[in-house]
Amino acid sequence: MKITLMLMRLSWKNIWRNKFRSILILSAIAIGLFAGTFTVAFIAGWGRATIETEICNQLSHTQIHTPDFSYNYDINSYFLEDRIAPVVDSVTHLNSVSYRLKLYGVLASASNTVGTFVHAIDPEEEKATTTIYQYIPDSLGTFLEKDKLPIVISQRTAKKLNARLKTKVVLSLQDVNGDMQSVAFRVGGIFKTNNSMFDESTIFVRKSDILPYTGLPEGVAHEAAILASNVSTGKEITKALGKALPDMDVQGWNELQPALRLIHAWTDLINVIILSIFLVALSFGIVNTMLMAVLERTKELGVLACIGMNKRNIFKMVMFETLCLTVVGSGIGILLASWVIGYTGEHGIDLGFMLNANYERFGFSSVVYPILETRAFLEIIALVVITGIISAIYPARKALKINSWEATKC
Amino acid sequence: MPIIETINLYKTYKDQTSEVHAVDNVNISIAEGEFTAIVGPSGSGKTTLLNLIGGLDTPTSGNLFIDGQDISRLKPKEMVDFRLHHIGFVFQSFNLIPVLSAKENVAFVMELQGRKKGERDTRAQELLEAVGLGDRANSRPSKLSGGQQQRVAVARALASKPKFILADEPTANLDSKSAENLLDMMEKLNQKENITFVFSTHDPRIMSKARRIITLEDGKIINDIVK
Ligand SMILES: Nc1ncnc2c1ncn2[C@@H]1O[C@H](COP(=O)(O)OP(=O)(O)O)[C@@H](O)[C@H]1O
Ligand SMILES: [Mg+2]
Repeated sequence: MKITLMLMRLSWKNIWRNKFRSILILSAIAIGLFAGTFTVAFIAGWGRATIETEICNQLSHTQIHTPDFSYNYDINSYFLEDRIAPVVDSVTHLNSVSYRLKLYGVLASASNTVGTFVHAIDPEEEKATTTIYQYIPDSLGTFLEKDKLPIVISQRTAKKLNARLKTKVVLSLQDVNGDMQSVAFRVGGIFKTNNSMFDESTIFVRKSDILPYTGLPEGVAHEAAILASNVSTGKEITKALGKALPDMDVQGWNELQPALRLIHAWTDLINVIILSIFLVALSFGIVNTMLMAVLERTKELGVLACIGMNKRNIFKMVMFETLCLTVVGSGIGILLASWVIGYTGEHGIDLGFMLNANYERFGFSSVVYPILETRAFLEIIALVVITGIISAIYPARKALKINSWEATKC
Repeated sequence: MPIIETINLYKTYKDQTSEVHAVDNVNISIAEGEFTAIVGPSGSGKTTLLNLIGGLDTPTSGNLFIDGQDISRLKPKEMVDFRLHHIGFVFQSFNLIPVLSAKENVAFVMELQGRKKGERDTRAQELLEAVGLGDRANSRPSKLSGGQQQRVAVARALASKPKFILADEPTANLDSKSAENLLDMMEKLNQKENITFVFSTHDPRIMSKARRIITLEDGKIINDIVK
């Protein structure tokens, strides 16, 4: 133990005998680790932003449907709000729920016709649950606030229909009996999100306005969308509701939108690949430097072996030298990264200037808040330490091959 | 009982075409307290013989006894430990660990031996004073002259309380004044502390300081005189 401490001190001194080289490799390790960690955090932040935007805008964390509705979106596959509400409240009260009717319809203006998915909602409930109302610019109306029979459509839909605020549009849909019903609305608000597929298909009307035309009874819904305080409580709520409502289809955001789950999986995979590349580069740098450090010291290592330093101690000494470099270098890099991630995580990085419209088509957010989860942070540190140890072994073994009689050659 | 005894010691280097008997049937016996020089022209086998005696190399055949123990067949691991506790080394150059001070260099061997810090410090300082460098204890080797470095090396070799000290051409890289000073210091340690020294040289003025001179030629002892 004492000898180990002594070897550590000696290793530390050995590192500083070639200051330039040590600072160079330390900087390389630090910069590499910084870049690697930051990239991982950036991608994770991007993935999360995309997912959260989607959750907040319309998806919410958990949705409840009847199994039939999930299967065929049939207007008759509704449930009673009064049956679901007490159960939801019993699972958690720190949430908001929007009970929606969802209907297929065709929206027509004087100049054009588009197929849409009608979200018939209670505006107050919906505002408490999703942020879609924030996507209506001040100059483009309100979220179903005033007016008689208002309808909220997206900018894309407005363009297709050649509609503006106050333009009259006619919504046609099938009622519970399969008969066509047509209702005239006036455009009361025009929204635009980052997800153009959502924009193209979605319109909003008040539940109370449309109900009489559907033939549905009062107090029913096709969908309950539940917003939790965060992703992990969302997960718990989904699980608990699934148990409490065995006859209903309770789905989390990741089941509702498989593409989002894919983003989740992809960001994880990409991060693993990026980290591996950084770590392999790190490893090459370390091995190369330490090999130099060992080979230019054959004489000295020979002397140490002559005067009675055994192989284990020589091995330890070189291992410590490598580990010191790795730990100090990556420590600096990771600290620097956490600081920058902390700052940008709060203020965000706006990529709007370099992204084209296609990027937003799938709902990707253009402001990224890098995030480093504790788990990822610990994983990176563990991987770096493992890389350090593995890279240390080769130079240390090389040092063992040096024979004591090297000392006696001149 | 002699402290070093070799019996029919051979070291033969072979390549495809020829054989070199670097050490060729050497029989010597060195007693405690001797001050012995091994001399001979370059290539005569001085280094090879000292390496065998110091356990840095294994003989092709023959036996080597240190203090009555046959060490010629020790395993490498046991050999390292044997050297640490029983043999002191001084090499021609680059003896010292450059990142440690003179005193730390001397104390280093004692740390490997697992001695206590108090003991290490006192003894390291004493030894540096004994070699006339008490005031340079905190200097790094690069701040010391070649002669001073060799003195530190002698102090380091003594630190482990070895049975004897082997020095392969310790003066080869020194000017004649420093070389003589080093030898005078070694001689003093030999006389006052009864330290056994075996050193090699091909410098006539240095060998004249020895009390026993063993002359090698082509790996064979051709002369062994005690003054
Ligand atoms: N590792 C080796 N391989 C082959 N020949 C060697 C080796 N070491 C020494 N020799 C040969 O052994 C002889 C004695 O060498 P050495 O002991 O170094 O002599 P000295 O120290 O007296 O100059 C020389 O002929 C040398 O070439
Ligand atoms: Mg020689």
